[in-house]
Amino acid sequence: MKEEMLNLADWVTKTARASGADDSRVTINSERFIEISYRERKPENIREASTRGLNLEIYVTGRYSSQSTSDLRKESLKKFITNALTTTKLLAEDPYRSLPDPKYYEGREKFNLELTDPEYLNFSVENRHNLVKTIEEACLSRGGERVISVSAMTYDTHLSLVQMTSNGFEGSSESTVYYAGASLTARDEGNRRPSGSESAMSVKRKDLPHPELIGQEAARRALEMLGAKKIKTEKMPVIIENRIVPRILSGFISAMFGRNIQQRQSFLAEKKGQKVTSESLTLIDDPFLKSGLSSRLFDSDGLPAKKRVLIEEGILKEFYIDWYYSRKLNCEPTTGSPSNLIIHEGKRSLEEIMKDIGRGILITGFIGGNSNSTTGDMSIGIFGKLFENGEFVQPVAEMNIADNHLIFWKKLVEIANDTWIYSDWRTPSLVFQDVIVSGE
Amino acid sequence: MNKMSRRSFLSIAATTAAATLYSPFWKRGLYSLSNANEPRYFEREFGISEKLCEKVLAKALSNGGDFADLYFEHTVSNWIGLEDGKVNRAYSNISLGVGIRTVKGEQVGYGFTQDLNEKSMLEAAVTAATISNFTGKKPEIRYSWVQTKNYYPLKTLLTEIPIESRLPLVQGVNDRCFSLSPSVVKVNAGFSDEQKRIFIISSEGIKAEDLQPRNFLYANVVLEKNGKRERASWNIGGRRDFSFYTDEVVSEVARTAVERAKILFEAIQPPAGEMPVVLGPGVTGVLLHEAIGHGMEADFNRKKISTYSSLLGKKVAEPFVTIVDDGTIPGLAGSINVDDEGTPGQKTILVHRGILTSYMHDKISARHYKVNPTGNGRRESYQHYVLPRMRNTYMEVGPETPGDIIKSVKRGIYVQDVSNGQVRIGEGDFAFYVSQGRMIEEGKLTAPIKDINIMGNGPKMLMNISMVGNDLEMTKGGGGMCGKGGQGVPCAFGQPTCLVKTMTVGGVKNA
Repeated sequence: MKEEMLNLADWVTKTARASGADDSRVTINSERFIEISYRERKPENIREASTRGLNLEIYVTGRYSSQSTSDLRKESLKKFITNALTTTKLLAEDPYRSLPDPKYYEGREKFNLELTDPEYLNFSVENRHNLVKTIEEACLSRGGERVISVSAMTYDTHLSLVQMTSNGFEGSSESTVYYAGASLTARDEGNRRPSGSESAMSVKRKDLPHPELIGQEAARRALEMLGAKKIKTEKMPVIIENRIVPRILSGFISAMFGRNIQQRQSFLAEKKGQKVTSESLTLIDDPFLKSGLSSRLFDSDGLPAKKRVLIEEGILKEFYIDWYYSRKLNCEPTTGSPSNLIIHEGKRSLEEIMKDIGRGILITGFIGGNSNSTTGDMSIGIFGKLFENGEFVQPVAEMNIADNHLIFWKKLVEIANDTWIYSDWRTPSLVFQDVIVSGE
Repeated sequence: MNKMSRRSFLSIAATTAAATLYSPFWKRGLYSLSNANEPRYFEREFGISEKLCEKVLAKALSNGGDFADLYFEHTVSNWIGLEDGKVNRAYSNISLGVGIRTVKGEQVGYGFTQDLNEKSMLEAAVTAATISNFTGKKPEIRYSWVQTKNYYPLKTLLTEIPIESRLPLVQGVNDRCFSLSPSVVKVNAGFSDEQKRIFIISSEGIKAEDLQPRNFLYANVVLEKNGKRERASWNIGGRRDFSFYTDEVVSEVARTAVERAKILFEAIQPPAGEMPVVLGPGVTGVLLHEAIGHGMEADFNRKKISTYSSLLGKKVAEPFVTIVDDGTIPGLAGSINVDDEGTPGQKTILVHRGILTSYMHDKISARHYKVNPTGNGRRESYQHYVLPRMRNTYMEVGPETPGDIIKSVKRGIYVQDVSNGQVRIGEGDFAFYVSQGRMIEEGKLTAPIKDINIMGNGPKMLMNISMVGNDLEMTKGGGGMCGKGGQGVPCAFGQPTCLVKTMTVGGVKNA
C-alpha cells in the first residue's frame, strides 16, 4: 500500500512539474473504517467503507492553491493537475508562499512511535459486535430501572498517509485508532431526561478501558445528573474534570497560532516570555508519545517534530508557527498545529482536593459557549456536581461561567493527579478559585 | 456519542473547503447551460442505469430488510480567499461516491464507495445487507420520478463562473471594509461555493434527483482603537444564483462586519444572573433551532430521549407562538427541493398556536409514528446515513411592535447577534453565545454587550415567551451549518423580536 501511494505521489509530483508547476506538495491518504452501534440489544447502525483522497498544493509564478480529489486514476489526475495550475495562475501573487527551505526538513527522528496495533487484523467483525454488546449490557445493568435508552458504539480505523514535495521531502505514516463509547438517557422528574456518556480512544485495542467500565461509567454519569437544578449565582472554587479540560484550553491555544497572531486576532501575540497563567501550569506539546493519538515524526509542512514546552510554570514560551506564517511574521517556524498536548499533573487525587476546598462545583460537562481569540473573552455553560468538604450536595445544570482567559488561568490553584489518557490532549482535572458561576 | 460533536451549531464556516473554479474534472467538455440542467446526470455522466441500480438494491436486500436505497453524490466545491489585501489563495474539493443503505425497522446497514462501478457498488451493498439476517427476496420494482419544485433556480451553474468574475467580489469586500473606518487593520474575505448533484433510487420505486447550490460571501475584520482590538464577521449567501452577488451585497457584507466590530469597543460583559431577554429579529433564530428544533427531530423522540417525546398534541407555548420548519423558501441555505431520501421539500408546522403538532421525520421515524415523512431526512454526504434534520426554522409573526416589546422590560438583555449554540436533548437545557447585544434599562436600549453565553431550558423557555413581534426576519447567511451525529448540513432560521420572561445570563460579576 505504502509503496503504491509513494509511487503515485512521485508521479503526481513529476507530472505537476512537467505541466508547469514551480513546486508542489502531494499528500495521499487512505482509510478503512468500521462503525457499529447498538440500541435495545440489537445493531442500530453498521457502517463500513474504504476511502482515499489526494491533496495537491501548487506553487506557480509566486502563486498558490490547494486542491483535493478522491479520483486517483492517472487519466483523471492529469486533468486535475492542469485545472489546478490554470486556477492558481489567476490568483494574486503571494511573496510569502513557498515550500520550506530543504534544510528545514533535516533532523527528523527515527523513533518507533508504535502508531499501529499489531493485533488490528485479528480484530474480527464478531469481536467488534461483542465489544459493543458488552458495553451496552454493562450500561443497561448499571442504569437499572432509570434507563430510557442506551446506545453503545465502537469505531475503528486504519489510516495510511504519504506526503511528498518537489524539493525533496518524503514522509509516510500509518496508524490505527479505536473508539468505544456509550450514552444513557435516564428517567427523571417531569419531562427531564438527563443523559450521561463516556467514551475513550486509543491506538491499540488493549489500551482501551475494559468495555464494562465504559458502559458503567456512562450510566453513572447519567444517574448523577438526576434532579439537577441551577443554584443562585455564587463566587466559589470550581474543578474542571480531566476529560473536559480541552474544551476550555482550546480557546486559550487558539491565540497561539501564527495565523491569529499575524492577523491580529490573538490576545497572546505580545505576551511571549510573560506570565499568562498561574505558576501551577506547565503545558507541553509532545509528538513522540509512544502510541499517542497525535504522535508524529513530521508535520504538514514536512518540518521534523520536536517536543516543545509551550507554557512553563505560567510563562508563555512558544507559539504554533507554520512555515507560511513564519515568513509573514519574519520569525523561525515551530510547527503549525498541536500534536499530543500534555498538562503536567499535580500530586493529590481529586477526592483529596475536594475535601480541602470547602464548597465548590466539579464541572463534568460544558454546553454551548465560545471564546474570542482576539480579546480572550469567553463564556460557557456548565453542569456538574456541587460539593461541600468533599461531600456531594446536589447535581447542578443550566449554569454558566464567564471570564477573560488572561484572568481566568491565573485563578488556577491546583492540578490533580488524574490525567485522562484516552485522548490526544492529556489533561488532569484543574482547580480554579474565585470563579463566578451564574445561575438564578 | 460525544456531547460536543453531537450537535453544536457553527455559525460561520469561513474556512470551508472549496473548488475548482471551472467544471468538474470528470466532465466530458463543458456543458451548455440547458444541457447541464437536463435530468439524469448520473446516467449521462457515469453510466448509472436503472438496471445496475436494481442489481445493487437486490444485493442490499439479499438478507431481507424493509427497504434499501442508493444515494449518488457529485459535489464540487470552491473557495477563494483574501488576506492582507490580495486574493492569493484558493482551495477546491471534488467528492464523488454512492452510499448504500439497508433499513430493517429502526436498524440501518450502510456501505459506501468512491468508485461508481458495479463491483465496488455490490461490495458496499454487501456491507449494508449485514444489518439483516434473513434470506431476502429479489424485489420487483417499478420506478417513477418524484415530482419536485425548484426553490433555487440557477441562470448559470456556479462551476461555469470563471475565477475572474469572482475575484472582484472578494477584493471589493476588502476595499470597502478599509474605506469604512480608519480603525480597520485586518480583513479576511472570501467567496465559497458548492454545487452538489444527487440522485436517489430506492427499492420502494422512488427516483429523485437534485442540483443543490450553496454559496456565500464573507468578511472577517479586525479593528484597533487606543490599543484595543475587536473582531467581527458577516456573511451573506444561501442557495443563490451568481447574479445574487451584486454591488449592494458586497457593500452590505463589508458594512455589517465593520459596524459590528466598531460597536464592540464600547461593549461590556453584562452582570450575571436571571433576567428577561429580548431576542432581536433574524439571527437569534439560533435559539429556536437549539432550544426547540433539535428536540423536535423525530429520531430523538422515537427513542424517547428528547424532552419533547411525551408532549405531542400538548400545549407547549402561548397561543401566539407558531413555529415552522420550512424547506421551501426560495434561495435560503436550508431549502431543499427534495430531501436525501427522495421526499419532496415541504413546510412543516411544529408548534401551531402553542400546541406541539408534529416532529420532523425521516422515513424511519415516519414508519415508527405511522405518519408521512416530512422531508427532513438529510445527510452530510454519501458517506453518511440519513437523520431527521432541520431546514429553515422560524417563528411566525406576532401582534406586538418591537418598540413595545423593549419598552416592557425594566432591566434585561437585548440580543442582536448570536454566533453558536448547543442543546442537551434529554434535559432540554441549551446555551447560545451572544456575540452582540445591548443592556435594557427602564425600557430603553443602553450599553452594548458582547461575548456572553445565555442558558435556558427549551420547554421552560418556550412557555416563557410572553411577547412576539411583527417583524420576522430570515437570516441571509450561507455559511450556517448545523452539526448532529458528526454530520454537518446547511440550514437557516428566522425570528421576529420576542420577549422571554427569564433566562440565565452568564456575566462576569454578580447582578
